[in-house]
Order: sequence, then C-alpha cells, then structure tokens
Amino acid sequence: MAGALIRRAGQILAALAVLSFAAYVAIGLMPGDPIDLAIVGDPRMTALDAERLRALHGLDRPIVARWWDWFLRALSGDFGHSRLYARPVATVLIPALGGTLVLVGMALLIAVGGGVALGLLAALRPRTAPGVEALSVLAQAVPAFWLGILLIIGFALGLGWLPAGGVPDQGDAAWRFLVLPVATLAIANLAAYARHTTAAMAGVLGQPFIVTARARGAGGARIALTHALPNAAVPILQVAALDIGALMGGALVTETVFARPGMGRLLYEAVMGNDHPLALAAVLLVALATMLATAAADAAQRVIDPRIGG
Amino acid sequence: MNGRLWAGLVLLGGLGLLALAAPWAEHLLGHDPYQPDLFARYEAASATHPLGTDELGRDVLLRLLRGARVSLAVGLATALAAAAIGTAVGLLAAWRGGVVDAGLMRLADGLLALPALPLLVVLAAADLSAIGLSPDLAGGDVIRIVAVLAIFGWMGVARLARAAALSTLALPYVRAARALGASEARVLARHVLPALASPVAVATALTVAGAILAESTLSFLGLGIRPPLPSWGNMLANAQEMVLEAPWQAVWPGACIVAAVAGAGLVADGLRGR
Amino acid sequence: MAELAGWVKPAARTSPLARGRVLGVALVATLVAALPAAAQTRPQLTIGITQYPATLHPNIEQMAAKSYVLGFARRPLTTYDADWRLACLLCETLPSLENGLAVRETTPDGKDGLRLTIRLRADARWGDGTPISSEDLRFAWDAGRAFETGFGNAEFYRSAYELIIVDDRTIMLRFDRVTFDFASMGDFQPLPARIERPRWEADRAAYRTRTAYDTESTNPGLWSGPYRVTATTPGSSVALARNDAWGGPRPAFDRILVRTIESTPSLEAQAMTGQVDMIAGELGLPLDQGIALARRAGARFRLHVQPGLIYEHIDLNLDNPVLADVRVRRALLLASDRATIAQRLYEDRQPVASGPTHPLDPGFDNTRSPAPFDPAEAARLLDDAGFSARGPDGIRRNAAGERLSFEFMTTAGNRGREQVQQVLQGQWRAAGIEVRIRNEPPRVFFGETMSRRRFTGLAQYAWISAPENVPRSTFHSDEIPRAARNWSGQNYPGFRDAEMDALLERLPITLDPAERRPLWSRLQAILAEQVPVLPLWHRADAHLWPAWLDGVRPTGHLAPSTLWVEQWRVR
Repeated sequence: MAGALIRRAGQILAALAVLSFAAYVAIGLMPGDPIDLAIVGDPRMTALDAERLRALHGLDRPIVARWWDWFLRALSGDFGHSRLYARPVATVLIPALGGTLVLVGMALLIAVGGGVALGLLAALRPRTAPGVEALSVLAQAVPAFWLGILLIIGFALGLGWLPAGGVPDQGDAAWRFLVLPVATLAIANLAAYARHTTAAMAGVLGQPFIVTARARGAGGARIALTHALPNAAVPILQVAALDIGALMGGALVTETVFARPGMGRLLYEAVMGNDHPLALAAVLLVALATMLATAAADAAQRVIDPRIGG
Repeated sequence: MNGRLWAGLVLLGGLGLLALAAPWAEHLLGHDPYQPDLFARYEAASATHPLGTDELGRDVLLRLLRGARVSLAVGLATALAAAAIGTAVGLLAAWRGGVVDAGLMRLADGLLALPALPLLVVLAAADLSAIGLSPDLAGGDVIRIVAVLAIFGWMGVARLARAAALSTLALPYVRAARALGASEARVLARHVLPALASPVAVATALTVAGAILAESTLSFLGLGIRPPLPSWGNMLANAQEMVLEAPWQAVWPGACIVAAVAGAGLVADGLRGR
Repeated sequence: MAELAGWVKPAARTSPLARGRVLGVALVATLVAALPAAAQTRPQLTIGITQYPATLHPNIEQMAAKSYVLGFARRPLTTYDADWRLACLLCETLPSLENGLAVRETTPDGKDGLRLTIRLRADARWGDGTPISSEDLRFAWDAGRAFETGFGNAEFYRSAYELIIVDDRTIMLRFDRVTFDFASMGDFQPLPARIERPRWEADRAAYRTRTAYDTESTNPGLWSGPYRVTATTPGSSVALARNDAWGGPRPAFDRILVRTIESTPSLEAQAMTGQVDMIAGELGLPLDQGIALARRAGARFRLHVQPGLIYEHIDLNLDNPVLADVRVRRALLLASDRATIAQRLYEDRQPVASGPTHPLDPGFDNTRSPAPFDPAEAARLLDDAGFSARGPDGIRRNAAGERLSFEFMTTAGNRGREQVQQVLQGQWRAAGIEVRIRNEPPRVFFGETMSRRRFTGLAQYAWISAPENVPRSTFHSDEIPRAARNWSGQNYPGFRDAEMDALLERLPITLDPAERRPLWSRLQAILAEQVPVLPLWHRADAHLWPAWLDGVRPTGHLAPSTLWVEQWRVR
C-alpha cells in the first residue's frame, strides 16, 4: 500500500513537471507578449523603451531558459507574480481555488446524490425509467451558459427569489449566492450518475445473490440499498473522479455567467491577459486536483472492492 | 433498446436534412442569410421570416439552417478525427503491447486527467498559422475548431478500442490465424478492426455530442466559429448577450443544440445497448 | 492610444418579457415614491463595472478600471474636467505663462526649456493625516525617472529633467522642451514617500511587485481622495469607505462598493435585481444594451449618453497596392452608409465622425461634416481606378482580372464590432467590393497583427485620446511600426505625408491656441483628402444612474467621473 502510494505520488509529480513545460511553451508561443501589448497601450513608447522593458521582464531570453528559471523557483515555492492581479500568484490562486472547490464540491454532491436517486428510481420503478432517461438525455444536452442565463431569468429576475450572481457582500446570506451556480453546474453532470446507477443496478439485480435475497423475502428497497447499491458504487466513484477535472474546467462558464471569482475564470483571464505565471500555476493546480481526485477514487475503490489489486 | 438508436438517428437525420435544405429554403424564401437589413431588426415571425429576424435583420431560420451545416460538420469532423486517432492509438497499443502500450495509455490517461476546457481556451486562442494552417483557407475556422477539439477527444476512443482489440487478439481463432502464418496486417484488418467497430461507434457518437457542446462553449467565450459564418454555438452566444432584450433569439439555436446533442447521445446509448 | 477591449453594440426593441418587467418596476417605483423622501446620505452605493483593476498603483499600467476606482481614492495634480479644460485638483493654481508659474528658459545644453512652479493645496493630506508634501512629489519623480521601476509615460520623465524643492509644498520642475499641454503633467502625481520610498529603494526593479498599493491596499496613508480603499477581492470587488482626512466637501455615501461583472447580461441582471445601484458608463454596458436597459427599467435608472473621445475607425493598409490608390479608399468610404448604421443600431446617439478630431475638441474644424453615402460617386471612382467590370459574383474586377477583394479584421468576440463589420460587408458587396472577415482575439489582434502590420486590408478598432491630443503616433511617418524600431509606433496604415509630418511636429510646440487652430484644420483636411483611415464614430458611453442620484458629470475622456465624487448627491 505504502509503495503504491509513493509510486502514485511520483507519477503525479512527473506528470506535473512535463505538463508545466508543455503549458509554458504553449502559453509562451501565443502571439502578443506583454511588451507588445504595452506598446499598443503607450503610444509614446520608443523602440529603446520596448527593448529595455523586454530585458527587464526577461522576455528576450529563450523560452526554455525562462521555463527552467520558473521551474527552479516553483520548486522552492515561488510561483511568480501575477501581472493581472499585481500580487504573488499563490495569494491569487488560493482564494480562487477555495471558491471553486466549494462550487464544484457542492455541485458534485448534488449531482451524485440526485443522479443516484434518479437512477435508483428508474431501476426499482421501471415505469419511471423512460422519464428519467429523457430527463438525463436533456440535462446532458443543454449548454451550461444557456442554462445559467435561463435560471437567472427565471429565479432572479422573474421570481426574485435569488440573487442574479456575484458574491455576497457584508450581511448577505452566502448560500443564496450559491444556489443557482451550483444548480447550473450540477444539472449537466447529474445525468451521467443517473445512467450509471441504472445500468449498475440492472446488472446487479439479475445476479444470483439478489435472487437469493429476494427469495428469502427481502423487500425491493432493502435489496437495493443493502445489496445492489454498494456494488454500483464502484463505477459511480470512477465517474465522479473523472468528473472533477471536467467540473473544475466547466466552472469557467458558470463563474463567468454568475460573476463569481474562481479558478476557471482566473485561468481564462490569465491566458487571455498574457499572465504567464498565473496561467501556468492555475493549469497545474487544476491538473493536480484532478489527479489527486483520481488517486483518491482508486484508493476508495480498493477499500470498497478489495479484489482490485494495487 | 433500438428505440433509442432510432430516435437518435431520426433526430440527427432530421437536422442533417435541414442542413441540406439550406439552399432550397433560401431560394424559396428569396433572401440571403448573410445580407444584413438594418430596417428589419428583431422582427417577429412572419410569412417572409418564419422564425423572425436577428439583430442585423437576417432571417433566423435561414441562419439556423446554415448554422446546422457548420455545427454538424464540426461535430462529425471532430468525431471522425477523434475516432481515427483513437482507433489507431488503441490498436497500436494493443498490438505492440509493452512499452508502446504503457506509453500511449499513460498519455491518454494524462490527457483525460487534464482540465480540458481551459486548455481548449489556450489552444483556441493560439495562432494556428504558426503550424501551417492558413487562416485564409475556406472553412479555416471550422478546421481550427475541429483540430483543437480532436486533440482532446481521442482518448476515450483509444481506451475502448484498445480494450476491444486486446480481447479480440486473445480469441482462439485469431491466435490460430496468426499461428497459421497470416500476416499481421491481415490479422489486424480482417479480424481485429471489425471487432472495434461497435465500441468505436459508441465513442464517436458521444464525441459528436461533446464537440457540438464544446463549440457553443467556445463561442460563448469568444473563441468559437467567427462571424459571418453562423453556427448554432455563435448564434446562441450572440443571442445570450441580448437575452434580456430579445429572449426568443436564444430559443432556436439553443433548441437545435439540445436536439443534436440529445440525438447523438441517444445514438450512443442505442449502439451500446445493442 | 489603441484600446484593448471595445464595445459598440446596437439597440433593440423591447421584448414581451421586458415589457412585463417594466410594469413591475413601475409599480415598485410608485410604492417607493409614496414613502417619505430619502435622507441626504445613503449608507452604500454599489457600482457595477466590467473589468477588475489589475493594480491600484497610480503609475503602473493604464487601464480604465483602475482609473475609475482610483478616482474615488486618490487625486492627481491636474486633470481635464467635464468641459475638457485642464484643472487643478491637488495643486493650487494651474501653471501658465500668463500667471508666471510657467517660465520659458534655456536648458543647460541650449535647448528651449520650461520651468513650472507647482504648489500643492494646503488641505491636501493622505488618509493617515500626514500632509502631502514636496517630498512625495520628489519620490514620484525619482521613481518615474528610474527606468527599471516600470512606470508608464517614460517620455515625460525624460523631459522633466530637474526637480527643485522650494518649500514643504512647492516644487519647481524643469522641462527640456516646450509643448502647449505642459500643464497636464502626464501621470505625474505625488506618491506617499513615507510608505513607498523604502520599498522602492530596497529593490527598484521589484518595486512593482512590492508597492503598498497592491500589498497593503487598505493602508489609509496611500489615499488622498474623499474615499479610501478598505477591502479588495481580486477579480470581484473593491470596497471604499469615507476618508476622514479628506479636506474637501463630505461625500454622500458611507461606503462605495465597486463590483466587477464581466458578462454584460449578468451585469444587466444584477442591475435589474438591485444588486447593483448603477452601471458606470466608463466601463459598463455597450450603448445599445444601455439604451435597452433604460427602456426596460426606466423608473429605476436614468440613462445618460456621454459622447466620448474613443474613435472607432477602420485602418487601411496603404502598402496594399489596391488600397494605395486614393480613389479606392474614397470609394470604400462613400459606399458605406454609416449614417444608417448609426441611426438603426445606436438610435443616433453616436453620430458618424468626420475624422479623428472630436466635435467637442478645441481643435475641431466645424466646417467639416462626415463624408456622405454616395454609391454613384463610389462607382465612378472605382471605374476610374480600373475596377470597372463586374464578375458573375457581382464583385468588380480590373483589366488583369483581379477581384476587388480585401481582408477585413477586428477583435473577435466583440459583438458590436462584429455586427458593424457584417453590415459594412453587405453594403460594400452591393458596391461590388468584397471584404473577407477574419477576426482574432484582442491579444493576437493588437499584440501581433496590428503592431507588426500583418493585416493586409482593413482593420477596425478604436483609439482613445485626451482632449487636443496631437495624433503624432498614429499619422507621423516616423511612427510606422517596423522591426528596426522594435515595432513601436501606431501608424498601422503606413501613412506617409510630408505636410502631415510637419504639422504634427509644429502642433505641440505652438503655444497659442489661436495659432494652432489653422494647423488642426489643415490636419483634418489632409486626412479627409487622403483617407488613410475610414472614420466611423466617436463612441458614446451609456451611464446608468439610479433615479435618486444627482451630480455625476462624466467627461467623455480618460478622466473618470469618480474624480468629482464629492459632488454626487442623493435626491
């Protein structure tokens, strides 16, 4: 077990190092460096000024050398200074990560909870199955930004129940600001869990031990919860782990529509605004979160189902 | 189970027919979906404009039909590209095994673990003329989007293809064929590839759905198909900015996207259940 | 100055849904009106803007969001006011040759020079109570002159070669050249030396990452305006509270919250739910969306449309052999029906421009009017230019069979620009001119395509300028970007005209406004004859104020309305 953990940690670190290089080069090769943009912004900048500025920011050096510098400093915990937010990258990222984790975590909980409930419903009450399936096909097909705007129109403008987005100010109830974004993010993902639950339940319900249990007189709901569901947990866990990355990326859209600061928007703005240190650290952080989630899901799977070897 | 397949195919086929009908509809209605008319902005539905007009006075129906061509093309092309790459990778990994297999699957796992959307943003904002894609190329924008989406779309196909190829290669008759001296190429082409068709088809259908959604999201972020070429994604993203003023503008492209994505999803379900 | 994110958007009709909302809001407004009149002050004003200020340091990076927020919390020495006249904010008297605070002299190396005397107001103090002093000006000057500090406007600090402290609140500044706008003093303004100098001296190159403006923004000692910053949430909001050390009139609000909401439908939604009291015109909704919102929620908001100094235009690449022909350039202008676009998309709130000089600018030649829509004349010009035959696709061709076709670029994702672009495409197609639209994200468009002159035909974007700004960087032949000049300069069309060069050199050093007027007229005449740039319009800002707020005076130029926040009053 310990060996497997160490191996896994090593893999994750190696992947991060490789990814950091690829991302650095990809971002660095995008046209328009900060100095080009500075020239556009200041008409009176002279050729000499531009050259000195490039040297000052180290932009006159080859990209590989710049990445290596960054890498060495990153190893010592210094991820550089964000140009867009004028503060150290870590101090920008940590609050944003917090905001996104709350959003993604709640969305995931609701998606899994709601999805499993719907899936169970469809498996145990076959008459509801077509309805559940139609719902999940639709939920997966709606573009998130559209759904978000529809929710704003319905619940914030129309009914006036909830704020139209933004972050709570002093004295506001924080949960009210979370409802719509969490719902937007959860709805698209709910469908996958419903399907997996239905499929896993269908598979499990036909197996001999269930038939035996049923023959012993156990009720449908009891069978579902005590026997079938634990077996369905493994695939659901796997999907959830893979979803974390997608959710953190998908948070970009939700955060934009609801004007919430968070990782998704930060990453987008860093890329579009030429903030290399911030973009790089944000990509790595999201990747790290995803990989950790996958590793945790694998570990949990081993606990639930000891047959799977490490 | 096949009900789903049929429902999906009917949905997609219907949208495909609409896309093909674009020139005919233009002829019938007698106007050009690209020609703005500032005196006919935001018109309600009428005989001349069955679905009304957009913010520049262009016919919404005709633009939806033209958009269908672009959006479905993006979906299909991305799915085919992803299927081709994925099948090739999966097959290669299963056939060669060992280090090649480990390396390719690590790469696929790694890419799967990445947050796709932000990286799509990086790629979509990049200047692809640097790698020889001329921006002037007809449909250059479609190619750009397809390339970007395919880079992140092949891993699922590759995993499924590899699994199917591995199990086929282990079948007794395939082993017998190999033992009897059939060439490797023949074994792969005659025995393994056909076995991949079903899982690859499922993954391809899912990629169509994913690509159409992803294009709309990129459009929302200002990085999708660029005007004047209409796509459902950029029509929806555009309507979304004026949604409080002209809400019905967002209804049609949104409905088309939902229909296409749901259709592709149903096809995938149907194929899987077969 | 070219801008990095623009917005020009059209108007639209009221939707059924929106009509329902208007009724609802009207009802609420009636109920509110029945209540007793509100007090003179309000606890809080919440303002929505569409950008987050990258830094709060007054001299590092120029961006509209920063200048908007800083308008509440720090005062520059001078600024252009709402009447586009230069005025003192922190200084006592605006230096001029007449009042003797500006004196012509000769520099040590024999050039024409100028000496300005600047006296700070007696009541000017930082938020911690310390008076603003000459030392604060000296620090700003020291830091600005050291290149590694990374302040913008390097040209100003090069020219201001000596600073002499006269007394605690008086300095003299010597310049090695004499320009008519000497009193504007660029971005030069006091910085709290007590807090900032040690940080700067410890490591000059790292100052921009260590300045207290960003590391401890809530330190009252940094702020000199009616408000001071009390909290920042990166990417989301800046909160300000009354600055007790402020010597001027007491402002009306205890607290001001500036919220960043980038997506405009979300901004509108938050305005309609009352989460945002007002939408800043400087950084708010596109004009068409602003007009539409005011129509839907007229009882809650007052719309003010402020004509501005943001010049939306289309650059023509004069190195393109076809565009090198002035007849083709004129034909492009005459074949575009800009007046109809302005009327239909902006309800005539943003009239067509005749050139870069704004009608409110002192340099504007009011005998000029925008070029008319004249397709017949355009056709004649194109015939003359050799593009007389029309192909089967309706596009004109010349004798060699070349089609009259150009690439037309702008910033991708800017809905307003893309709309105008598509309308122009349709109008030009009718005249037999094809334009192929190819847009790029702003960072690529400005950072590479424009600055390296990689566009081949037409490019639409905006220039932001100050009142009576001499457009040297955009029209002087020395300012054509090229590798040898490190791609500096903004003459993207590649315009070369000896008379224009001479005018651009003479204008800044002509101190008498009356003498400048004919020069300005001639400049506008040359641009109208040569058409290196197709004028569209000067952008107008849509300010949406709550119905109960009075006294906001937008300027239309770079100085934000927040610089006069102490005059904002609750009705």
